[in-house]
Amino acid sequence: MESNFFKFVMWLNWFIIMLVLFIAFLNLVMGGGEVFDIGAIIESISPNWFASTGIGLCVGLSVLGAAWGIFTVATSILGAGVGAPRITNKMLISVVFCEVVAIYGVIMAIVFSTKLNSGASAEEMDSHAAHFTGHGIFWGGIAVGVCNLLSGVAIGINGSGTAIASAANDTLFVRTLIVQIFSSVIGLFGLIIGLLLANKLPQFGE
Amino acid sequence: MSNVGREAIFPTRQSLAVMKSKLKGAETGHSLLKRKSEALTKRFREITRKLKQAKLKMGQVLQVAAFAFAEVNFQMGGDIAYQIQESAKNSRVQLKTRLENVSGVFLPAFDLGTVEGKDDFALTGLGRGGQKVKQTRETYTRATEVLVELASLQTAFVLLDEVIKTVNRRVNAIEHVIIPRTENTIKYINSELDELDREEFYRLKKVANKKAQDIAAEDAVRRERKLVEGELNDEQDTGPADMLKTDDDDDVIF
Amino acid sequence: MLYHNASHGFIDGVVRGYLNQLLTSANYQNLTQCQSIDDMKLQLGPTYGDFLSSLPPGPTTSALQERITEKFIQNFMYLKANSNGTLRKFLEYITYGYMIDNIALLITGTLHDRDIKELMDRTHPLGKFEAMPVLSIATNVEELYNSVLIETPLAPYFKGSLSHQDLDTLNIEIVKETLYKNYLEDFYQWINSNSETAGTASAEDVSGFLQFEADRRAINITLNSFDTELTKPQRTKLYASIGKLYPDGTTLLSRADDVDGVVLACQGVPAYQAALESAGMGGGPLGGLGNQAGGMGGGIRNLDELLYQREMEISKLAFTQEFSLAIFYAWVKLQEQEVRNVVWIAECISQNQRERINNFISVLE
Repeated sequence: MESNFFKFVMWLNWFIIMLVLFIAFLNLVMGGGEVFDIGAIIESISPNWFASTGIGLCVGLSVLGAAWGIFTVATSILGAGVGAPRITNKMLISVVFCEVVAIYGVIMAIVFSTKLNSGASAEEMDSHAAHFTGHGIFWGGIAVGVCNLLSGVAIGINGSGTAIASAANDTLFVRTLIVQIFSSVIGLFGLIIGLLLANKLPQFGE
Repeated sequence: MSNVGREAIFPTRQSLAVMKSKLKGAETGHSLLKRKSEALTKRFREITRKLKQAKLKMGQVLQVAAFAFAEVNFQMGGDIAYQIQESAKNSRVQLKTRLENVSGVFLPAFDLGTVEGKDDFALTGLGRGGQKVKQTRETYTRATEVLVELASLQTAFVLLDEVIKTVNRRVNAIEHVIIPRTENTIKYINSELDELDREEFYRLKKVANKKAQDIAAEDAVRRERKLVEGELNDEQDTGPADMLKTDDDDDVIF
Repeated sequence: MLYHNASHGFIDGVVRGYLNQLLTSANYQNLTQCQSIDDMKLQLGPTYGDFLSSLPPGPTTSALQERITEKFIQNFMYLKANSNGTLRKFLEYITYGYMIDNIALLITGTLHDRDIKELMDRTHPLGKFEAMPVLSIATNVEELYNSVLIETPLAPYFKGSLSHQDLDTLNIEIVKETLYKNYLEDFYQWINSNSETAGTASAEDVSGFLQFEADRRAINITLNSFDTELTKPQRTKLYASIGKLYPDGTTLLSRADDVDGVVLACQGVPAYQAALESAGMGGGPLGGLGNQAGGMGGGIRNLDELLYQREMEISKLAFTQEFSLAIFYAWVKLQEQEVRNVVWIAECISQNQRERINNFISVLE
């Protein structure tokens, strides 16, 4: 059943790809090649759309990373805590690390959201500066989001290992915690770059 | 030996002869039984010694066997006893009995016969631990051998014990009851016979005296008559009557 | 891997907790110093306290075994109750191995008209299944065969390789090994094709275990079948088509007539070759089998013990892998060995045979 569904999806993918290629080919041979002007398409999209999507991805991916980390690490803490209840208190630090990742995303989302301005006129929104801000927030948000997502996953896996290791041997806690800190720092990189980027971006309508 | 008493029997010469033959029989029987008892005791001691060894050996062998079983459990990680019980169809080891004659006593002896090539649970532990099962089976076969030997000895021990007790009781009865009693009876018969003899002798004497008196009285009468008739000298040649010399006396008693 | 913890993280942690509770070499060292089973009870207190407290003073070895097994079973049932999805299925697969033993027992019992209750007491608790009492009601072999097919999850292992006549005519050990072979192959196939485990560390590690088990059985079956009614073609059918010995090794094994043949077959796998050599089988003919020391054989371990040792080492290594189902299998094996070890030490102490008390197999530090 499962594999049948999988086959169907695969087939659907191929079908869509072939359809798109077919339409593109038709356009190309019928003298409509200019519809593939990607730059024009992107330019036609409003910077507000880019900015909002960037902010959404920033906080969304960060929270996804945090959640992923937490469910990975917390289940291990709970399980290992059955045998060694002493670890549950200090292993909260792993959960905090994961949570911090989400907070990075939230911070960046707030910083980025200060660039939004509903009062900007249509001409202002079509300016070079507005496009710069829109694209900056979009890619900045993705950078922060993906950094935090991967950071969260990394903390989750390491934290899971930390929980199990410190349940077996208490002295391993501090050592494995350092590994976790390094994982957490990945998310911090995203935050730093995001902040630097946000400094360069003018507010819409300025 | 006064408490032994004697047999209720008339003290006659015939019963004396019977008693004498009985005494002789008793003595022969006594020595025979004594020898049997000694032979049995000797055997008994031998068995006791072997029994002790077998018991000690059994302790060791069974300990080893039990331990081997523990090893099987360690390796198989489960109880295989049930499986083995169920897969055994015919006995591989068989008990054979025979009788052994020791001085007229039949002692049962047990022997162990192994049916070669018979192996009902050869495949037990096929997946794991099979070799250990094989080893343990060897160990237990040896333990069974010791057990059977022990059983054989123990049965002989109990039986012999019983027999020796009986024989010893007989020996003692002959030695301490039958022989003294028979001797007593013989003594009694003898003394009774002697007494009778003495009585007889006395009576004969009395009779002789009486006869002598009677003869003397007759003689006196005769002498008087001869004196009267004048034939006194002829009569005096015979002298006084000798009782023991008279052969032609009439029997008085018998 | 990334989603493993979402479904199985808790149980994963719990089973690692169980691993930490297992007796270590130091614990075993203390146990061997005990004078009586009561002393052992004290030593086992931290791990098995609750389960041993109800034992009367001076317990028998089997009572002790019963108690520790009870804890093992309880832990396993806890894992099973808290598991879901693939892990649940995986744990069920683990119990199938014990189920095969139980079914073999029930078949034997039914063929000999034994009491059901007596049989039920003897079954392994891990291999119990709901329909088990129903099996004993069968009066003849065909009925039994049908009810096994209908009522048990082992039906696929019967189907195709064993008919109902086989239950009657074949030795029960052969039936059991046939089932086990099918079970190993099925388990292997499942773990390597299941969409959640295929290609992951779980599949890799579990395959390692299954291959080892298949190889061990192949070697043991060959060694134990010499001079028995088991013919070579029959024997060949019992080798699972997985394992490091397959196909070259098993082909050689199927031709082996003596220990040398087995040694030759195992040459491709250094680990088995080493084990055979340490068990004294590498040398002359019947070098190992001729050793009928009856349990007084001193320090040399036999093949079974060496292979157990190896299994324990693999099990220990399995715990170094994160997000793997193999740790559950490994824990079951380690815990099983622990039960055996404790019982062994208890037997040695109660039978006062201390020379070989150190023969237990411990890999945990």
